[in-house]
Amino acid sequence: MRASRNLWLGGLLTAVFSLAAVISFAWVPYDVTKLDIGAKLLSPSWAHPLGTDHFGRDILSMIMVGARTSIAVAIVAVGIGMALGVPLGLAAAARKGSLLDEVIMRGNDLIFAFPSLLIAIMITAVFGASAVNAIIAIGIFNIPVFARLVRGAALSLWTRDFVLAARVSGKGPVRISAEHILPNVTNLLIVQGTIQFSLGILAEAALSYVGLGAQPPLPSWGRMLADAQTMFSFKPHLAIFPGLAILLTVLGLNLMGDGLRDLLDPRLRRAQR
Amino acid sequence: MSLLEIEGLDLAIHGTPILKDVSMQLEAGRILGIIGESGSGKSMTALTVMQLLPEGAEARGAVNLSGHDMLALPERKLCALRGSEVGMVFQEPMTALNPIQPIGRQVAETILVHEDVSRAEAMARARAALDRCELPEAQFPMSRYPHELSGGQRQRVVIAMAIALRPKLLIADEPTTALDVTTQAEVLRLLKRLVQEDGMGLMLITHDLAVVSDMADEIVIMREGEIVEAGPCPGIFSTMSHPYSLGLLEASDHQPERAAAAGEAPLLQVRDVVRDYPLPRRALWGERAHFRAVDGVSFEIRRGESLGLVGESGCGKSTLTRAILGLEAVQGGEILLGGAPVFSGKRPNRAVRRKMQVVFQDPYGSFNPRWKVGPLVAEPFHLLDTPPYGAERDAAISEALESVGLAAGDAEKYIHEFSGGQRQRIAIARALIIKPELIILDEAVSALDVSIRAQILDLLADLGARFGLTYLFISHDLSVVRNVTDRCLVMKSGRIVEAGGTAQVFDAPRHDYTKELIAAVPQLP
Repeated sequence: MRASRNLWLGGLLTAVFSLAAVISFAWVPYDVTKLDIGAKLLSPSWAHPLGTDHFGRDILSMIMVGARTSIAVAIVAVGIGMALGVPLGLAAAARKGSLLDEVIMRGNDLIFAFPSLLIAIMITAVFGASAVNAIIAIGIFNIPVFARLVRGAALSLWTRDFVLAARVSGKGPVRISAEHILPNVTNLLIVQGTIQFSLGILAEAALSYVGLGAQPPLPSWGRMLADAQTMFSFKPHLAIFPGLAILLTVLGLNLMGDGLRDLLDPRLRRAQR
Repeated sequence: MSLLEIEGLDLAIHGTPILKDVSMQLEAGRILGIIGESGSGKSMTALTVMQLLPEGAEARGAVNLSGHDMLALPERKLCALRGSEVGMVFQEPMTALNPIQPIGRQVAETILVHEDVSRAEAMARARAALDRCELPEAQFPMSRYPHELSGGQRQRVVIAMAIALRPKLLIADEPTTALDVTTQAEVLRLLKRLVQEDGMGLMLITHDLAVVSDMADEIVIMREGEIVEAGPCPGIFSTMSHPYSLGLLEASDHQPERAAAAGEAPLLQVRDVVRDYPLPRRALWGERAHFRAVDGVSFEIRRGESLGLVGESGCGKSTLTRAILGLEAVQGGEILLGGAPVFSGKRPNRAVRRKMQVVFQDPYGSFNPRWKVGPLVAEPFHLLDTPPYGAERDAAISEALESVGLAAGDAEKYIHEFSGGQRQRIAIARALIIKPELIILDEAVSALDVSIRAQILDLLADLGARFGLTYLFISHDLSVVRNVTDRCLVMKSGRIVEAGGTAQVFDAPRHDYTKELIAAVPQLP
């Protein structure tokens, strides 16, 4: 098992942004809730490495705090998807072909049938724009992804002899799912989780961009982009830095997901050798 | 000059020696049998001839195929030779065919790759190749897909692909290992006929001495990358001198020492069992059709007895196993173990279930790869109302592992650290741990090398005597069933067609199907 270059690069990018988010709890260069109109729209300098925005807030500080928002939203959204999707997928596979399986999988199809971002916008529009509602909206669309992934993998595991041996030992479907199926799908969950995580960050940025994500004064990358839009022609750094933050985080997570898949998927591992 | 000459071939992969000083010859129109167990280098020898070696392989010596120095040819020339001069048939006919292409196109493809002919002509020649492989157009049009064919028919398609260009050399790597005995006999007959008709050389690689002994003109026995014995067949069987070949010969017809069958009291009673599977509905509101996998099967196993159940794939023996284990409800009849039903009402009966255990065929698939051996072996404890824990549980695990010839310390290892034979011992330990009365062996030795198989059979016989076990031995391998069972049943299409003492069934079969089965078993001279 050798970690690939993708994994290292992706891991490094992810680590940098996670670190920035963690540090922002304890220390940021400037307070992001304090306005300093005198220092507005400054270009990058030693005092403000990434410049300041139209209220004179430090962009570096905002990106650090914004990373916190993005990562928190994405983690909880993936968590919701896994916490509900994985048991649903396991249950559907354990009772393959039953009414339960049909209900779960058709429910998944129903969620899949809706364009996710539009529904997220609808949910936040109806229940009010806030980070919590954004989390729930993104999380709901993660459920079918994990449910399908787990059901597919679990179905092939259910035909294996070790599951038959567990049944001969009198174990029921719940116990077999927990003891035999789940440990054998964790690799898949890690890989898919990383990819869903990057999609969550993108979705949060998109919701904030249209003003339906985290609300001011809490900074978020999406809203920084939206604010920078009108001034892009003469102050491009306002858009470039938050844009780069989104780009690099998502790139890092995707590279890491690819790298993890190469590392953890035994079929690919054999093919490479 | 011979068709194929291998002289002093050494092969190393990433510095690890795989083959050591291998030499052999094959004349046109002759059959060369290469025999060896897993890891003997028999497949690697074939891949060296094809120059299809894995990355990092380094071959030294001489491989000469009808005048071509195979070790020196550039890749482009090799591609031209593969398929046209050398054809290859693999063990697993399902994976050797592309599942989404009709068979005609797949055979035509080999022709199109090598010769500049029109598609129509290639298809016509593909048809001819399929005809020669006994797949007549009436039943097997070229538009058939691999999944619509049986294992033996698929293997014929693979052979048709290999011989479509009339190669001078055909390499068959375990071509019949995945097939039933009667199908195996047909495929071997086909290969022999093609060799005679085309005058090509056939390199037949197998682990089964009996298969080659009927077929080959020359035999080479390999072990750990070296040739231990070689000579003309069948003469070699009387002149064999190397201890390994003699051991192999003994192991392929191994007869473990067993005490005579015990008491008269029946342990397992199967009465008129019927097992139906629903088929998919043909119309939305149409009647659901059923497939009867087990059709009115009745038999008994006496305490301490070893009963064989013989049948080819699809005869319903696996379905019957599941029913006996109480994993699936039956649609008719009853199954009693020690007088109590295995399946009472809608729930399997735990008190009965803990009296039986099972060992499966595949030593690689029957263990959860993420668990250590200890918990794996202890899994059947779940059937007990008060399972042992702590030191008592550890002691039970150690005892079970030691009784199958493994060390108590193996409980801390993961399953991938063990070989196939060791895994099968672990599977037996898992079956033994709750001290069952009946052990069902579902093709338990079919996937093992012959020498390992002999060891496992000895172990089973020994355990049977020590713990007073009763065995239900399910297998498609008749020679094994003959050597280890007291009585046997022959099953076909869900019914038992013949039952009786093993010696009687094998020596004087009454039913036509049994006769056919026994005739199909390859015999050692």
